[in-house]
Parts: sequence; structure tokens; C-alpha cells
Amino acid sequence: MTHLSRTTHGIAYDATNDEIVAPNPLAAAIVTFRGGATGEEAPTRTIQGARTGLSRPETVAVDEKNNELFVGDPGDRRVLVYKRDADGDAKPVRTIQGPKTKLLQVVGIAVDPKRDVLVVSTYSRLPGGVTGLLMFGRTDQGDVAPRRVIAGPKSGITRLRQIALDPETGAIYAAVINNEYLPPYDIDHPRRGLDPGVELPSPWNTGTEGFIGVWDDEKDDGDAPPRSIIKGRSTGIVHPAGVTFNARDGEVIAPDAVWNGLFTFLKPELFAQPGLPERGRNEIPVR
Amino acid sequence: MSRRIVLTSAVVAGMWLVAMPAGRAPSAADVFVATTEAAENADGAMCMMPGGDASGDDQQIAIPTRSDAERGDLPPVRMVVDPYPSFNGVAVDATNDLVMMSDTNRKSLLIYDRAAGSATSKQAAMAKQQIMGPDTGVGFVAGVAMDPAHRELFTVNNDVEDRLVVFDYDARGNVTPKRLLYVPHQSWGIAFAPRRGVMALSVQTPNMYVVFGREATKFDAPIRSVRGPKTAMADPHGIYFDETHNEVVVANHGNFRPGELITSYTAYDARESRQERSGNAFDESARGRFVPSSITVYDGDATGDVAPLRAIQGPTSQIDWPMGVAVDEINNEIVVANNGDNSILIFPRTANGDMQPRRVIRGPLTGIKGPMGVAIAKDEIWVANFGDHTALVFPRLAGGNVAPRRILRNAPAGKETSGFGNPYAVAYDTKRREVLVPN
Repeated sequence: MTHLSRTTHGIAYDATNDEIVAPNPLAAAIVTFRGGATGEEAPTRTIQGARTGLSRPETVAVDEKNNELFVGDPGDRRVLVYKRDADGDAKPVRTIQGPKTKLLQVVGIAVDPKRDVLVVSTYSRLPGGVTGLLMFGRTDQGDVAPRRVIAGPKSGITRLRQIALDPETGAIYAAVINNEYLPPYDIDHPRRGLDPGVELPSPWNTGTEGFIGVWDDEKDDGDAPPRSIIKGRSTGIVHPAGVTFNARDGEVIAPDAVWNGLFTFLKPELFAQPGLPERGRNEIPVR
Repeated sequence: MSRRIVLTSAVVAGMWLVAMPAGRAPSAADVFVATTEAAENADGAMCMMPGGDASGDDQQIAIPTRSDAERGDLPPVRMVVDPYPSFNGVAVDATNDLVMMSDTNRKSLLIYDRAAGSATSKQAAMAKQQIMGPDTGVGFVAGVAMDPAHRELFTVNNDVEDRLVVFDYDARGNVTPKRLLYVPHQSWGIAFAPRRGVMALSVQTPNMYVVFGREATKFDAPIRSVRGPKTAMADPHGIYFDETHNEVVVANHGNFRPGELITSYTAYDARESRQERSGNAFDESARGRFVPSSITVYDGDATGDVAPLRAIQGPTSQIDWPMGVAVDEINNEIVVANNGDNSILIFPRTANGDMQPRRVIRGPLTGIKGPMGVAIAKDEIWVANFGDHTALVFPRLAGGNVAPRRILRNAPAGKETSGFGNPYAVAYDTKRREVLVPN
């Protein structure tokens, strides 16, 4: 009845309208629930159908200020934007797609309505493909180049997943999972082109250590190191796949796929402080 | 979507940190295994998130008010890590009186005596063997199979690892698999057919099952596959090979996308988009849809895009998110782990259409909570209970709201489960001060 799938790689909470939004990549749908939904409860709205442009939606974000819903869809390598309350076989109001966009495996999306910035996390093993954060204008559409790209060895990003964005500070929180991924499986010729003796990475030994990285959504560009980082033995996290935050209590929250667990870190210095002048993005500390 | 968020305390985190060997950087595997052991020793102390539902008798643990460290290597102030196994797939070896279950949570295989567990015990049962560790290739595991004739144990990883691993019957600990077979991404169930020497795997995203030889290894290709729009498969999970009647039975959740949208058998590669496969010449109207959950039955020799021989589907059937499925080949019944409403459905083997189950095991006395795997042996139904740290054993003819004959626990009674299954995203509900984690 929920129309959720066991494969859900994105989720968003809309505080203004008290709603939960999640993609269902296996049925090419976006489902919205009331905020207090529990048990086997039906969604209040479902976007699905021939006009939607949905192929394999992975990630969602809600722009509560401008009443829009952003969807990252790697199936057709694009970003789809709907009216926030779109329902049924709804057409997107905007689409970002095409070779200039650098969109490939789109796995995270976030929007900053204060600065009119749209941030997308994408990864690729294609020659020339980008693995990093792409910054678009919030209302960009069509085959448009990102205005800025955060990627490169200093960024520490070799693979990433979900992102979150705090409009109060302009901070982007990225789950930099940094594990290996497998070459494509051709059912007639599995792992064609690989040396028969090659050992593909095991789930226990999956490359470089992951981390939660923080970047500025307006100031950072290119091969920029994170301004703040949660990484290392003490953190417990190995390959974090998701990230969100609780600004009120100064917390950063991340699930970890290796641990099958959820970790909460106290980082109050990253958030706007109540009673103090608004903490601007310029104050995001450089580690 | 559970509203309850259970948090294991930072006290537990501190225990595993001091348990690590000194003088070298720990690998992910070191940390994982040490943490699991330390957390179990700490008896899985739980606390509730501040501001959350504090009902019940969960222990409240003081939470540090601040954690900070230079360069980001800081301990968590809270963590939700369930230190106990969570049963997923189940297989019974009636010849040697053994039962094996996959453990999604701590990434292991557990083997017990078939008679283990009791109706009244509140303690965890002792496993005869546990296969766990960095060399095993056991990760986000789902389906399992046992082959007493060749004394081999099989399990398939559903996500991330994309591999099936095979162990000797007496394997234990951190052992290298006897064989390893790379399989399509999102393989979930194993249907072992010992007389034919094959195994069929269900694969979620491409809506198919693939058949491999029993001894397939490494990059061996499937012998055949069943896939395509005629098959009516939609997000398949459980699968059973009924060799007596030469049929393959598949449990489908009902999430469907047409073949045109199935661009890859791995989710991890950007090469396989529709643009790359066909340029921009594709049908923009080919999109997904929901279909009712179902049980579909195929000829045992089926290959390609073939229609099912029978399909059980519709509101009367009560099928809702079916996970594991098994066939009682002697008594001609199909048993379904009906995850959506915490029940076990039993149909006549030849049921077809929107047919009422012959029996339903459901209700508070049953203890069924999030059933994943199901197996039948020696006139008993085994249920791997993902939501309650238990496996339940019912008499074959059980129906209604009945208590299980035996309960096999992998944790002391009353220990809650996090319910996590490879979490890849998170959101924060600022109104309720709750953390939302999809699986």
C-alpha cells in the first residue's frame, strides 16, 4: 500500500508542509506521505506515468520556499523539477539534461532557495566523466553547463552519494562513500573484458575510507578540499551513504552501509547560532 | 515506515574503540567485527532519541553534550547499531537436521540444530557455526541454500557485493569461500535444484530470474534466464524450484518498469544509461507502474520471455510484499512470507488467480514480524523473522492466531531491532525531531 520499494536511495522531509517524499526507482515513481505516516499507509500523492519523465529516480529535494520538487534520475541522466504538489502523471516544469550538464549517475540533490543554487552529486567511470558536486542555478533548464564543479584529488571524492544543504549557511553536506563499484554485468558475458583472474573488490575491502565533507555552495569551485570533515577511526563510519543534519542541536547524521547503522555527530560550529547574528557561509570553517 | 528510532549508546562505541589492536590502523573489517563483538558484550544497551517516544522500558543513557576533534576524527554522540543478527533467508537440511539463516545485519551465516529453540526460552540460541568476516564475501546477504549431498552452503548478496558465495558444510569464522560467483546486481533469492544440479536466482531490477549450474564460478554466465514483459515478474524476491512438479515459483512485490528502462544489471555504472544504449532514440512514454503483488509460477525449463503457467494475485489472495516463498512438494502447498501484513499465507500448489489462501498464520500470538525467509521440512514451517530477532517454527497445518511451536532467538527476548537493511539515505523531521531512514 505504501508504494515504497526495498530499494530507496533518497528521502526528503518538507517541514513547511509536514510531508515525507521518497523515490521508488523500481517503479519509476515519487511518493509523498503525511509527516506522521506510520505502518502500511498509502501515499497522499504519487508522481508516476508516461508524462513524468521518470526512469529511475534516485534522489529528491523539496524547495519549500518556491514550492518545487527536485528529482535526480540517473536512468536518463537528468534532473526533473515538478510543482511541489504534483500528483499522478504530471509533467515536469523544468528538466536539466544533456552533454553540457555533466549529469551521469545522479545520486544526490539539494536546493538552496536563498542563493538560488541547485547542487547535484554525480559519479562516473566514463572517460571525462565527473565524480563530484555540480552547482547549477536553481531555475536552470535544458542542456546547460554547471556553473561550478567541485571535484578532484584535493576534494577527496572518489565516489559519493546523498547530499544535504543548509540554506542558513550555504553549507553542502556530502556523503562521500568512496567505495569501489563493480563493472557492468552483461547477462550473456558477465564482466566482459575483465581478466578472468581478476579479483573484484570485496564488500569488506572497498577502497579508500569514506567521510562526510562540507563545502560552500557559492564559494567553492574546482578541486576544493572540504571546509569541514567527519572522517577517521573514532567516527566509526567507513562508507557513509547518506547525510542529513539537525541544525537546532548542531548535529550531523549519517547512515553507514558497512555498519548497517546510523551515526550522529555534534558539530555546532557548522550551524547558525540562535541569538547571534546569522552565521553566514563565509564562516564555514576551513579545516 | 517505522516512527520509532532506537539508539544504541555512545558507551558501546567507546567499548569497541578500546578493543582495537594497538599500533596499527584498523581496517574496515577489523572495526566491524570488533564492534559487533564489543556491542554484544555490552548487551546491546539501547536508549531513545531525546524528544522521541520514550514509552517502554528502554534504558536511558546520558548523551554527551558535545563532541569535537581536530581534523574530523570525532566519535559519534549517538549511534544506532543493532549488535545482534537479523535473520533473512532460511534453509533446512532435513537429512542432517540443520537449519541455516542469513544475517543481513551483522553480515554472517548462522547454522543451528534443526531442533534448536523452544516455546518458552528468553535467551538466544547457540549457533553451531557462524561464518563471518572480511574474507567470507558475506555482506548484505539474502537468499540461502544447503546442499547436503555435496556438503555445501550457498548465500547470495542482494546489494553492494553482487556475488554468490559457497562454503563447505563445516566452515566457520572468517573463511574464504570455496567458490565465488559474480551475479547480477540485486539478486535476492536462491532456488536450489539438487537433482538438476542448478540454482535459480531472482533479480529485482530487471524483473527476471537467472539459472546457473551448481558449480558455476567467477564470471560464468547463466545457463538461461526468464525475463521480459510476458513473464509478469515485477520486483521479484523469493524463488523456489519445485523439482517434483518441474516448476519455478516466484514472489513479486509489484514494482514494475518496462524492459526499455532496464538499462543495466548493476546500479553502479554510468555507462549503461538509455542514451548510451540507443542514443536519444527511445520512447519517452515508457515509464514505470505499480502492479499488485503476486506469486507467479513458470515451467521448470522455461527460458526467455514466457508467460507464467499460473499467477496468484489480487485482493482476495492477500498477497502483500511477499518475500520468501517455498513449496511443500509432498502436500502440494505454496507457503509465502507475507511481509506486508506480518503473516504467512498458505495456498494450494495449483492456486491461480485472485484466490483466497487455504490457511493464514497471522496475529499477535504468532510473533510474526517482518517475515523474510520461509522453509518447509519435516512437517514444520520455518519463518525467518527480520523484525524480531527470531526464527519461528510452526506445525505444517498451523493457521490463524497461534503461537509457534518453537522460537529460535538470535538475541535475548525483548531486544529491539533497528530494522535497517543497507541504509543509503536519511532525512531529519524537524517537527517531530525524528530521523527518517529508508531501506
